[in-house]
Amino acid sequence: MGDFIIQDCSLLAKTSGLPAAINLRELRDRIALCSQDVLYHHFCETLLVPSFDNPDYRNDFAAWALLQLGDRVLAEQLGIINPYIFPDLEKLREQVLEILDERLSEVIFVPSCQPGGEFFFTEAVTVVFDTGKRIASPKALPEAIGTMTNGSIYYHFFEARRREPVGVDDFSAWLGGFPGQEAWRLALQTVDFVFFSLPELRGELVRVLGKGGVA
Amino acid sequence: MTKFLSSYEGLVSATVLGELRQLGNRLAGKRVVHVNSTREGGGVAEILDWMIPLMQDVGLKAQWEVITGNSDFYAVTKKFHNGLQGFPVTISKREWQTYREVNEENAVRLRPILEEADFVVIHDPQPAALLGLCPDRKGKWIWRGHIDISRPTRSVWRGLRPFVAGYDASIFSMCQFAQPLPHPQFLIPPSIDPLSPKNMDLDPEELTRVRHQYNLDPDKPLLVQVSRFDRFKDPLGVLEAYRLVRKVQPVQLVLAGGGATDDPEGQEVLDEVLEAAAGDPDIHVLLLPSDAHRTINALQRLADIVIQKSTREGFGLTVTEGLWKGKPVIGGDTGGIRLQVVNYHTGFLVNSPEGAAHRIRFLLHHEALRAKMGGRAREYVREHFLLTRHLREYLTLFHILGSREDASIIYI
Repeated sequence: MGDFIIQDCSLLAKTSGLPAAINLRELRDRIALCSQDVLYHHFCETLLVPSFDNPDYRNDFAAWALLQLGDRVLAEQLGIINPYIFPDLEKLREQVLEILDERLSEVIFVPSCQPGGEFFFTEAVTVVFDTGKRIASPKALPEAIGTMTNGSIYYHFFEARRREPVGVDDFSAWLGGFPGQEAWRLALQTVDFVFFSLPELRGELVRVLGKGGVA
Repeated sequence: MTKFLSSYEGLVSATVLGELRQLGNRLAGKRVVHVNSTREGGGVAEILDWMIPLMQDVGLKAQWEVITGNSDFYAVTKKFHNGLQGFPVTISKREWQTYREVNEENAVRLRPILEEADFVVIHDPQPAALLGLCPDRKGKWIWRGHIDISRPTRSVWRGLRPFVAGYDASIFSMCQFAQPLPHPQFLIPPSIDPLSPKNMDLDPEELTRVRHQYNLDPDKPLLVQVSRFDRFKDPLGVLEAYRLVRKVQPVQLVLAGGGATDDPEGQEVLDEVLEAAAGDPDIHVLLLPSDAHRTINALQRLADIVIQKSTREGFGLTVTEGLWKGKPVIGGDTGGIRLQVVNYHTGFLVNSPEGAAHRIRFLLHHEALRAKMGGRAREYVREHFLLTRHLREYLTLFHILGSREDASIIYI
């Protein structure tokens, strides 16, 4: 197995061109139409956007439902969605639309936001670059993770799941090429990453790997 | 003062600085020209003052050019500014002509520099017409709108849009501030420089000196709002909130601002504030000179709670400054304050003097929580609103615009 190539990334958000949504129906209609990049951004890239890490919900739709529509039921239903378990973003979109349609059929009045609380649809461009750093053996992985930037953590742990092998972080994929690393791979898979900020996740990955032995 | 990236070691992690150098290395030698309308005064000049040397430090050939104009030109562009922010103004044909002429005069001087540059960043509407006056441009041109143009006076935006539409990209501080344009619109919030006189660490002796200078009582909790005397900053609402708090506990208030003398409405608001504050020794209305950065810094550091009770706000860098000093901020529930103030985490958003009073009392009552929120506030700014993030996003933008790929992920 070759060295682990440490990449870094920097993300820049941009407007999507979609009009802002002021109520639940508009949110539903815009989600039905928006590009996959918009969907991915609001579910997965929030960690790299300069905004507060909402402690209740990590995806923007759930946070908006709670904070601007005041719809706690919807926020809970959207908030529990793990975008990484879907085989592709269209399946994720289907699931979100299903929840929104169900909610729209339940409510007597379509929940709306106050002026200033509109949902703005954005997306991002990510620039990825090679840091020039390499990890030669699994033994060196925890220490290397401990010094990675937020961008590197994001790229290797989250963004990796969009790439082949889909749904797998880069660390696990790399460890899979070495015999006897099953414990570490399993340990990485048990990390409940949803509630971590990137700096917290870095610490958690180091902690989890620190507990396992290296063959 | 020349600034180097290494000066920020310790304030941000070494990995963050390394990341900037890596992004910069891949742009080494690229010529970047920023153009605005003033070398001193105002937020844009403050940003460019640090951004140019730091861009140079990471390898770019960055320079800063300033357009010059007569008083008629600045009268027009002031009208642009007001009109773009939604105030009803009318721009005459003669005024549009003045705008074009001044840009033409500047283009004669700037064309050779701008047409050769790899990236040109034009700040705000004043120099926006330069794009059309540089037909042989080689690089990418970016228009950076620093103000909120979400609800402009239509006639003003209709007149300006043709000057802006031809750019390769534009930048806004928040998506709420943008207008539909036929090119990508990137979102880059502003930032603060932690080493500037307004934000640098100060000796305790200096804080004591400022406390004495303004007769502040060390034994009474201190509330501080720093802002222009402007109705949208709601200084009278802050006074009302203060009075509601004072009914139940001793407290003192500083309302500090500057620049009211050249703004007729500012003077009017200041007069109203002085009248409302008259006779109360615990209210300190301070009209400070525009270069009183260290005094403002000290007042924010002396505060127990920083207030920015705006009813309308752009991004609100005074909020960022307060958070950076480890103070919870009670801010108006509007604009960029919402990006920064999060209930129970970095402060509280409020919608009325009563709401502000309630949250002031809550925070004064919960000293430990106040300290905890202040700590979180500082880390939040460190993570998101320091100049290092700002610089990284500019470098990222240059990579995106310089790439031949039109994809959501670009490998460089």
